[in-house]
Amino acid sequence: MAMNGGGFGHGRSLGEEINGKVYDKQLLKRLIRYAKPYWHWFLIALILILSISAGGLARPFLIKTAIDEYITKAYEGVITTGHAVSGVRQLGIIFLMLMIGEALFSYMKTYLLQFAGKKIIMNMRNQIFSHIQKLPVVYFDKNATGRIVTRVTNDTEALNEMYVNMAVGFLQSIFEMVGIVVLMVVLSVELTLVSFAVIPLMVIITIYFRKKAREIFGEIRRRLAAINGFLSEHLSGMKIIQVFNMQKKKEEAFERINHAYYKASFKHIILFGVFRPFMDVIRLVALALLLWYGGRNILGGTLAFGTLYLFIEYTNKFFQPITELTEQYNILQGAMVSAERIFSLIDYAAEPDVLARGDLPQKLQGRIEFKNVWFAYEGEAWVLKDVSFTIYPGQAVAFVGATGAGKTSIINLICGFYQHQKGEILIDGVRIGDIPKLQLRKNIGLVLQDVFLFSGTVEENIKLFDRNISSAQVEKAARYVNADNFIQKMPCKYQTQINQKASVLSMGQRQLMSFARALLNDPAILVMDEATSNIDTHTEKLVQEALAKIMRGRTTIAIAHRLSTIQNADQIIVIHKGRIVEQGVHQELLKQEGLYYGLYRLQYQHQVMQ
Amino acid sequence: MINMLQLAIPKITGDLIDALQYETIDTKGLNTHGIIIIVIAVLILVLHYLSRLYLIGASNLFEYNMRNDLFKHLLSLSMKFFDKKSVGELMALSVNDMNAIRMAMMRGIIMIVNTTFLLIASIIILTRTIDVRLTVIAFMPFPILIIVMMKFGKIIHTRFKTVQQSFADLTSVAQENISGIRVIKAFAQEEEEIWRFKQANEKNYEVNMSLVKVQGLFLPLIHFITSCSFLIVLIYGGNLVITGEITLGNFIAFNSYIGLMIRPIAFIGMIINFIQRGKASFGRIEQLFAEPPAQEFCAVDQVGSVKKGHIVFKNLTFSYDKQEKPVLKNINLDITPGKTVGIIGKIGSGKSTAANLVLKVYSPCQRGELLIDGVDILDIPAQILREKIGYVPQENFLFSDTIKENVAFTAQAVSEKEIIDATKTSQIYDSIVSLPKGFDTMLGEKGVNLSGGQKQRISIARALIKSPDILILDDCLSAVDTKTEQRIIEGLKQEMHKRTCIIIAHRISTVQYADEIVVLHDGCIVERGTHESLLQKEGHYHQIYQQQLLNDKEVL
Repeated sequence: MAMNGGGFGHGRSLGEEINGKVYDKQLLKRLIRYAKPYWHWFLIALILILSISAGGLARPFLIKTAIDEYITKAYEGVITTGHAVSGVRQLGIIFLMLMIGEALFSYMKTYLLQFAGKKIIMNMRNQIFSHIQKLPVVYFDKNATGRIVTRVTNDTEALNEMYVNMAVGFLQSIFEMVGIVVLMVVLSVELTLVSFAVIPLMVIITIYFRKKAREIFGEIRRRLAAINGFLSEHLSGMKIIQVFNMQKKKEEAFERINHAYYKASFKHIILFGVFRPFMDVIRLVALALLLWYGGRNILGGTLAFGTLYLFIEYTNKFFQPITELTEQYNILQGAMVSAERIFSLIDYAAEPDVLARGDLPQKLQGRIEFKNVWFAYEGEAWVLKDVSFTIYPGQAVAFVGATGAGKTSIINLICGFYQHQKGEILIDGVRIGDIPKLQLRKNIGLVLQDVFLFSGTVEENIKLFDRNISSAQVEKAARYVNADNFIQKMPCKYQTQINQKASVLSMGQRQLMSFARALLNDPAILVMDEATSNIDTHTEKLVQEALAKIMRGRTTIAIAHRLSTIQNADQIIVIHKGRIVEQGVHQELLKQEGLYYGLYRLQYQHQVMQ
Repeated sequence: MINMLQLAIPKITGDLIDALQYETIDTKGLNTHGIIIIVIAVLILVLHYLSRLYLIGASNLFEYNMRNDLFKHLLSLSMKFFDKKSVGELMALSVNDMNAIRMAMMRGIIMIVNTTFLLIASIIILTRTIDVRLTVIAFMPFPILIIVMMKFGKIIHTRFKTVQQSFADLTSVAQENISGIRVIKAFAQEEEEIWRFKQANEKNYEVNMSLVKVQGLFLPLIHFITSCSFLIVLIYGGNLVITGEITLGNFIAFNSYIGLMIRPIAFIGMIINFIQRGKASFGRIEQLFAEPPAQEFCAVDQVGSVKKGHIVFKNLTFSYDKQEKPVLKNINLDITPGKTVGIIGKIGSGKSTAANLVLKVYSPCQRGELLIDGVDILDIPAQILREKIGYVPQENFLFSDTIKENVAFTAQAVSEKEIIDATKTSQIYDSIVSLPKGFDTMLGEKGVNLSGGQKQRISIARALIKSPDILILDDCLSAVDTKTEQRIIEGLKQEMHKRTCIIIAHRISTVQYADEIVVLHDGCIVERGTHESLLQKEGHYHQIYQQQLLNDKEVL
């Protein structure tokens, strides 16, 4: 049933398309919408950040004042030593207060941003998860579980990064840079020009390196993808490699691919090995220029030492936001990829459904009618061809046929997992599409061959975590279907923890549990895909007993594997290659000596012998 | 060296400022000072470049070598190991974890070395050239810093673990829900599941915030403590300048030094993070390396003894795991050289296990013996054994490579003619030649996608290429329709007569021409004989035959 159809490929190609694109207005708008309920927190955080930045800029200024107003003057004898000492002390106190303020503010800022970011992510996760619950089964056929889980967990985590670090940090970097320039210009236009004389050079170099870096990053990504591809293929094909004695050759092949990656990443090292120090050199050149030019001015008496000091500090500080901006750019890039993935999930149309309707009784009677139904999972590959039958309330119907004949598809349609293409399916005379999914399914008890178990207690597994069902109800249901006995023998009875694989439970015991599960809804329609696996005779007896009990008073549709089920069926429908070929009760069909006769002799007769 | 030069800059600046203050310098001196700084800058550039090349290069080289070793190690592991591990898990180990280790090495170790050295060197310079008392007092916050970092580190670590746990819980709720989505939908439990997820989500949010409460404090506190050094320099150092004990230049230089110290400390949180991640990754990878390679106990004198291809199963019982029930029970089968044996049975009857044992993909460990040419299979090195066996697997696994490489999939040298012959025998030669690039056609994601039947025939050619003594077809024809199957078998008939053949199938048509047919049921041989004799028995084989006739029947 699982198909890797076009949807898969589509998703992937979308994923690649967006890799290079960072700025997408539509995406950003949607992301901002999520942040809206918390805008005041972001605003406060922004104000805090700006204050912190201002404080950071004020610090060198304090030292400058200390130098110019007190230290130099004391040295030159303009003011007394005592006066200078107390002046410096006062500045020290301001400095200390700035420090305390900064520490407090930055703690508050972090807390606020994280609070808002984590709330946004929590809401987003809830939204994604809720949406997943509404997606049609087709979506799960086309997308691997792991991929969908990643959307809920990891991709949202990447967005958290963005909300916390990017949104406000971006403004901070810009504010700091602008602040520095403004302060410098106010202090001395001349010196500002001198300090920034290197900026054109820096811009040219940065542009050049950016271009280079993009090329190299592209290459690294390609090489890494090659490693991933190689590994995925060769780890899956490990048996073939070992059986064909290809270990040596494959080892060499991997070394080549790995080496290409190594070489590409080495190019990156070389590039940044030049780039980073180059920036340092530029910074130092700016410093040298400052000292040289400023020194001349000091000698000329037109410049104070403190101002020179301030310029040295600010020039150093100016380069920090630049590196931070690149960092933020990377975060944004990652976040955009994740956002695109998340939104493509959220935008996937939910299962078509209708609103709850009052004219339909909550409890259905269980009349099922198929009228010339055609169904294909994909395209024109018809799995069901022109299928028509009527099942009356309380009837037990057995579907019989070879593997792949289309029995499971009929069950899937009755549960409303898929939509048929042609014909009509009526439940209690109402078109299946007009019945709200929830209402339909509440009336159906599904028992599958493979009983899916969740990590949790036995009780939770029977009631499927439904809080409206009490322990007493669970026990009652379990007792009714003969499951109570073995559950009572488990270490913690109904509270025994089981995991997904649940190796402690036998096939038969799982079956009994799933009966109890189905029974709790008190469904009008019981849909069963009987287990084919061998169940030991004792459990088999229990299962048969339970089965007879739960079928009472319900419409039962079974993909039959047990002789008893088909013998007791009110109607047997024989499916062959998507069509109904025979229909009737056991004895009748046997007399026809057709396909059923053959199937019966092959599949069921030996059960009589046992 | 770099650090030394870096440290020289503030000193030079300081000296310059002193000179300016005492007016002992002229414009010419100023020029030379400027030039000195630029020279030092260029020196830093070169040295920094070299150091990055070597230090970061070393961590990349380390990653490269380790990844090679890891893949090599994976190649040597037994199938039992691969049964337990998912491909995704192993890929994560060899890509993401390796990356984390490199990052830890590059950022973490380099930074630590750098910082320590910078710290020691600057303390020396400062005490020697400026003032001992000022240095001591200015550096007083640093020990406090270390204590705070260690204390906080511990708390953050435990909380971080809680966060990871709750994230794992959240993931598993989502994972189980999505794998069981059909059950959830069938029982209309969506609302309850959403509630359950919200609980886990809320919990995750709470533990995250409790981490934030501590982690958020970490950086401001570190900044605060390091800023104390600035404060001390300002007040105490300022006083020293005023009283004339140190020069203004030294005061400014001192400020710059503290600045140099603090910058790496600001990154310390990040680095600790990198190192911790690296450590965790390293642990996981070490665990993988500790996995012992597939064991080989071989008697040296019997090496290379596979010649004729005589296979004997003697009272063989086998299970994949000692605790599990046996998959094969008391199998007795004698396949003489040149004979073809068909094994037929339902899914899970143990057919493929028999092939896996002959290939020594799993070793018989229970009871009984498996002899190849009279030698216990345990005494034959896997490599030599497999060299003699041509194997066509159930799933036609081909690699994203050229058709030629896929056919010549052997350690031996293969001639052009041999490739052509093998593809002709497997009835695929014509199809290959008709492709625009012929044998050089790329397969897989980047190349042509062949049909299931075509892939199957390439897979058969791959098995025939080394002209093996034993040929195993492991249920490989079930994917192709009966007509194609018959054509392939016709083509193979000649080849089959030359060697020992095991054909595994669940379709009668595949095995009907075998010299002997064995019917497996629940791990036991329940019937054996030729096609005709088995049909006459009207037992299991007959039943399978009837059923398949029925399923193939066209009903209108």
